[in-house]
Amino acid sequence: MSGQAPTPPRWAEVLLERLLPDHTRETVAGDLREEYVDGMLPLRGRARARLWYVRQVVSFVPWFAKEGSPMGKILLLVSLFTLACACWLAFMETLLRHPGYAERIGVALAIALICAATILVRMLHVGFRGERWLWAGAAVLIGLGGQAFFRNARAAHFEGFVFVISLLLVLQGVLMLATLGRSGGASVRPLS
Amino acid sequence: MSELLGTFEQSVLLSIFSLGTDAYGRAILSRVQATLQREVAAGAVYATLERLEARGLVRSRLEAGTAVRGGRARRYYALAAEGQRALGDTRRALTAMWKNVQLPTQGRS
Repeated sequence: MSGQAPTPPRWAEVLLERLLPDHTRETVAGDLREEYVDGMLPLRGRARARLWYVRQVVSFVPWFAKEGSPMGKILLLVSLFTLACACWLAFMETLLRHPGYAERIGVALAIALICAATILVRMLHVGFRGERWLWAGAAVLIGLGGQAFFRNARAAHFEGFVFVISLLLVLQGVLMLATLGRSGGASVRPLS
Repeated sequence: MSELLGTFEQSVLLSIFSLGTDAYGRAILSRVQATLQREVAAGAVYATLERLEARGLVRSRLEAGTAVRGGRARRYYALAAEGQRALGDTRRALTAMWKNVQLPTQGRS
């Protein structure tokens, strides 16, 4: 034993602090850490306590979404939908063992990861304090979506879901540019 | 008459009331879970507290944190006069609504 006090997963705690408005950040994170250490850890054990903590962090996402700008909310919704589509595609590919599925799963998972990153777009902004990350993210999304769209259009077998996901990726990129263009990044500023 | 409160809002306000001077986030979360007899997401409780405070139904104050919290402050909540009024109004409205209502016994129409 190192003798150190047990703490919740560090990444989840950082994520929580990024999600919360300034005036509640410290108190809410403190409450959850207290419950984790004094309540959940002795009662449920480390693994289940960590899972409990992550679930609590996730429960703040609707609050985080509600605090954002209308454009930010649309972006979040589109991102979540694209993520769901990409995960579904990966799952179905595995299930059906479609020829060439390994490559497709890789592409789908890459898309899913990028979508997940755009869901956290405002946190990226908070973390790096710069608009260039958002511009770069938008360019990557539009490029990836456009490339997937044209490749799919030229392929022998037209895949409806690749079509939908590619369009959603482009839409996400455009929405990111719109949030930047409207207020110079102000709509994706840290919550306060 | 103030706007009527939802079930969850009532539960949070009543928890604050019953906890008295010990009503901080973690204690409120535990009390709400015990009252509703189910696991409640922390996000739902804190979002409700935020909304109730913005509506002037509760007020809060900060106090120093403990070591187990990593030194983070605690926010204690208390029922404001407007919150007590809202609870009273909601209770009266529910009582009036249920007056003379006799539901059929289980499974019968």
